Amino acid sequence: MFKAIVSAETLKTTLDSVSVLVDECKVHLDEDGIEIRAVDPANVGMVDLRLSAEAFESYEADGGVIGVNLSRLEDIAGMADSGQLVELELDEETRKLHIQIDGLEYTLALIDPDSIRQEPDIPDLDLSAEVVIEGKDINRAVKASDMVSDHIALGVDASDELFYVDAEGDTDDVHLELTTEQLIDLQAGDARSLFSLDYLKDMNKAIPADAEVTLELGEEFPLKIKFPIAEGQGSVLFVLAPRIQSD
Amino acid sequence: MGNADLRDLAHLETVPFDELDPGVVAVDAHNWLYRYLTTTVRWTNDDIYTTSDGDEVANLVGIVQGLPKFLEHDLNPVMVFDGGPSELKADEIADRREQREKYESQLEDAREAGDAVEVARLESATQRLTPVIQETSRELLELLDIPFVEAPAEGEAQCAHIAKRGDAEYVGTEDYDALLFGAPTTLRQLTSKGDPERMTLDETLAALDLSLEQLVDVAILCGTDFNEGVHGYGPKTALKKVKAHGDLWAVFEQEDVYVENADLVRELFRNPNVTDEYSFDVDLDPDIEAARAYVVDEWEVDESEVERGFERIEDALTQTGLDRWT
Repeated sequence: MFKAIVSAETLKTTLDSVSVLVDECKVHLDEDGIEIRAVDPANVGMVDLRLSAEAFESYEADGGVIGVNLSRLEDIAGMADSGQLVELELDEETRKLHIQIDGLEYTLALIDPDSIRQEPDIPDLDLSAEVVIEGKDINRAVKASDMVSDHIALGVDASDELFYVDAEGDTDDVHLELTTEQLIDLQAGDARSLFSLDYLKDMNKAIPADAEVTLELGEEFPLKIKFPIAEGQGSVLFVLAPRIQSD
Repeated sequence: MGNADLRDLAHLETVPFDELDPGVVAVDAHNWLYRYLTTTVRWTNDDIYTTSDGDEVANLVGIVQGLPKFLEHDLNPVMVFDGGPSELKADEIADRREQREKYESQLEDAREAGDAVEVARLESATQRLTPVIQETSRELLELLDIPFVEAPAEGEAQCAHIAKRGDAEYVGTEDYDALLFGAPTTLRQLTSKGDPERMTLDETLAALDLSLEQLVDVAILCGTDFNEGVHGYGPKTALKKVKAHGDLWAVFEQEDVYVENADLVRELFRNPNVTDEYSFDVDLDPDIEAARAYVVDEWEVDESEVERGFERIEDALTQTGLDRWT
């Protein structure tokens, strides 16, 4: 059983956070909210998203799992104006999701969850540094780096207490340093890892500019990116595997 | 030969690349390259891989296009090249010549019937790699730091030997014969678009309730690369007879049938000419730039054919996967 009403914005934010990595996903419809966990086909980036029942206008569920084609559902959500409400109801018999937006009714065929790639385990990482930063600063770093290179180094200098970004291109370079004054918070520990900008660009799309984003970093370790959605009633965790540093 | 017959007997399952455990794949290089030479690359324009001196180096395109599939899925290829033909006795050589002539006529039939898969299989069985292909393949693999092993005789037997010794998790070949050489786990369809097929020896033997020796005997009765089968014996009959009588000789005696050189063929599968003298390092450190220059500048391959492949190789080797931390 699943029946819920949610704002179009919350629904779009939720879907966007997952669709940057995968085309299809399983959605767990738990009693206290939904959870989506997915990893991209290359096993490089993963997402763990939770949206609590409080993020919905109304919410009723009893623990089922459905398989969803994300771009299809995004298209439907795109039919709603921001501020409009979207009504969702699962038909257990037909395994279809009924979606209503201001009189518009859409019946979405679901995917067999067993046919969707297995959900990943969240890596248990002991990361040495934690940076809390505004979403717009991540956007700035990613955008500038993308002009010169296809990968980006993120690091923390423990002695100087700063977070830095390095992108080295064939001809041009980009460097950005943010000190503790410019960051929301910094728990310094030496860290530096290299990441693919292709992935980071996609993840960046899902990060709201005004969000407080927590980055966890290590030495040649995956990066964790955590941020709240739906006014704190939900959260997104991205984990991104590093590239090998060749120098 | 009993290619289709063995398929009927083998335990096969299609496994998505994502779900394969990472590991070393001992690849029958001759078999692998010929897939590319005869099916993939052949359909493209000759000019792309023919030098101004007229040398065809489609193998280079095949290697660059074929390797990413392994590397992107944490499979470490070790290419195993055929050595000279097994030390065959005079009558065996005559037999093989006959066998080859038979293949060639089968090949013509398959071509006429338009059976591309069978054509590729038979072409690979009748043709040898040209000296230029032999040499340039090894040079390119060296630049890419992909290890390779020289088999004393049959590449496939050496692959199985490497896997049996625990130095590779998989054998990579299209040939079902890998089972007869005792390859524990074989991956097929590594060159085609979809998911690979995993063939496991233990499960094959368990399902058939046979020993490996008996499976070889069943195959000999159906016919293999090295012998003509017994007329009228398909996999079902051969299996039934071996089970009823115990082994090949008992079947010969009880059923009054005969396979020429049966002892030699049996020996070839049971104790093939293989070597322990090999070593390889699967920690790769390729010189992509040099490899690109070798293929594009030295051997005049159209850059557009290999550009994406080189990028994928580079990406696969520098980007780690999250599974490393779970």
